[in-house]
Amino acid sequence: MIQVKHLNKRFRLDNKTIKENRKKPASQLDPREEGHWFNAVRDVSFSCDSGEVLGLLGPNGAGKTTSLRMLSTALQPTSGEIIINGQDVVADPLVMRKRIGFLSGTTSLYHRLTVRENVQYFGRLHGMTEEKLESEIKKVFELLDIHSFADKKADSLSTGMKQRANIARTVIHRPEVIVLDEPTTGLDVISAKTILDFIESYKQSGIPVIFSTHHLHEVEKLCDRVVLIDQGTTKFDGKIEAFKQLSSTNNLYDVFVDLVSQKEVA
Amino acid sequence: MLKVYFKELLELTRDKKTLIFTILLPTLIMPVIMLGFGALSAKIAKKAVEEQLSYAIIGEENYSELANLLKSNETITLKELSTETDAESAIKNEEIRFAVKIPEDTRQRIEQGLSVEIELFYNDSSTTSGIIYRRVEKILESLDEQLSNSRMSLLGLTTEQRAGLIEPLKIKKVTTANKRESLGEKIGGFLPYILILLGLTGAMYPAIDLGVGEKERGTLETLLLTPIPRFQIVFAKFLVIFTTSFLAVFFSLISFALMITIFGPMMFSAMSAGGNEAITSLLNTFASISLVDVLLMFLMLVPTAAIFASLLLSVSIYARTFKEAQNYMSPIMMISIFPLILALLPGVKLDWVWASVPLTNVALAIKEIFKGTIDYQMLLVIFGSTSLVAGALLYLCSWWFQREQVLFRN
Repeated sequence: MIQVKHLNKRFRLDNKTIKENRKKPASQLDPREEGHWFNAVRDVSFSCDSGEVLGLLGPNGAGKTTSLRMLSTALQPTSGEIIINGQDVVADPLVMRKRIGFLSGTTSLYHRLTVRENVQYFGRLHGMTEEKLESEIKKVFELLDIHSFADKKADSLSTGMKQRANIARTVIHRPEVIVLDEPTTGLDVISAKTILDFIESYKQSGIPVIFSTHHLHEVEKLCDRVVLIDQGTTKFDGKIEAFKQLSSTNNLYDVFVDLVSQKEVA
Repeated sequence: MLKVYFKELLELTRDKKTLIFTILLPTLIMPVIMLGFGALSAKIAKKAVEEQLSYAIIGEENYSELANLLKSNETITLKELSTETDAESAIKNEEIRFAVKIPEDTRQRIEQGLSVEIELFYNDSSTTSGIIYRRVEKILESLDEQLSNSRMSLLGLTTEQRAGLIEPLKIKKVTTANKRESLGEKIGGFLPYILILLGLTGAMYPAIDLGVGEKERGTLETLLLTPIPRFQIVFAKFLVIFTTSFLAVFFSLISFALMITIFGPMMFSAMSAGGNEAITSLLNTFASISLVDVLLMFLMLVPTAAIFASLLLSVSIYARTFKEAQNYMSPIMMISIFPLILALLPGVKLDWVWASVPLTNVALAIKEIFKGTIDYQMLLVIFGSTSLVAGALLYLCSWWFQREQVLFRN
């Protein structure tokens, strides 16, 4: 189970923005900007149970990626808690990294290595023994149908093949939770389907999956619950049916647009 | 950490650009610079010496002995021109290479025992023009000597007295420096200049690839999410860059050593058919550099390569894009060249003041090792201080690498 409680993250603004902000009237300032700081995430809380797929929604710049980067330990929260199966992620990120599988549209493979070398490398970095690694590679490669291109260099693969290899890299160490940040962005229908099928298979294995996307039809198809983040705060957290009922049309798209259009007043 | 190190190294060896810039170029650059330029300049000089030159004589009738002497030489061909203007124009148009003007009063002045000024017209903007002057001077040497001897005989002077008359005081150079020391002073400064710059360029491409290259390709974030402490990741990357930098220097030194001991003598003896004394002496001086000296030079280059590796990795990690990183490389190159140029300046010698200037101290130390005059106490201090600078930069690089503002600057 994943629990995110009152998560906050702020970054220092660059000097140019600070100077520009000084000239602006208060009404024109981004509510997340505060003096020299930009509060990218402000009090975000949600949870994801075992076997549940949680859809993370929000417009560009809402704070989704920052939240997921904190969850994956790439960034350290300014404040707040992240608990995975009862253990604090922030307190011991090195140990927790072994329990998290993170895949995003921007994370990639080493293109001068073969798929097998890539997956072996990450398995070894996660401390797997050679024996365990080889047996896991066999299983994962079969599951994702990778054997035919396992010994090809990553830069010679099609986008779909790369995504399958990326998934193998993400799950090779058998993580307890899966975090996916816009993994289908920029992919064609077939490549995106590979990711969606993968999420579906993990849903059945009882592993919690957090899935951030802009594609609402994917959320509708896969997710049990949704969390909507806008301007760094949680706007909605609940079952997908409850989310739809926020609009008279019972349509995800309409609810999304309605909620993110309600701009915060500084 | 070693897993990251060996993976990065494996990836780099699969990259043609790295192999070219790190291995091939440094290995070839020394022989190409030294043998290539040496062979080319020798060839040009040889051609200039052996070339059949066309010329003109102005005022042949004023002293026919001189004109006949020129005409009797088979390496030059006379072209009939009557005036000085015609000769000058022919030199400009490259119809002739030189002209000799014999003044009207030549015979009269020679008979009176006076000196005569023979004018040599030639284009001295040409790189081989000095050779023309020396060739004409040599042709006229016999006439000059003949005239001088006859005048000395009239005065009743012996050959020795004649030498004393021409040069009453003669200074003979007796150097206390041996050949190696003397050569080291003259050209020893260029060796560290080339070696240190090779170390820098050898580290440059891998640093960009392992820092911002990984950022751009999206593999850095993946690596940061593995259970490897960040200081270990940065240290592994540092070690890879250090290795490539050091290998670049190592291969260039190896090729330099091979050039001196094997290819150099072979090539020059083939070129000059029997061997050129000056070049043989030069090569012998190089060959007198012992293995210990070469190892000491390597020792000095170890912390230098570490400085470059830390510095370049920090810059590369900071950059947002590959292009931005490349833009930062030019100022680093210029900043690195400046202390190396200082070491080349006349009068700059290795003392305790210069020993405290980073890079200049290493360049001066290598020069002193080359000359065979290194103060080992000072060498130890330079090694220690350079290692300290490298350590501090590596610490800063590690701190830098752990900053979210740097890693996720995009």
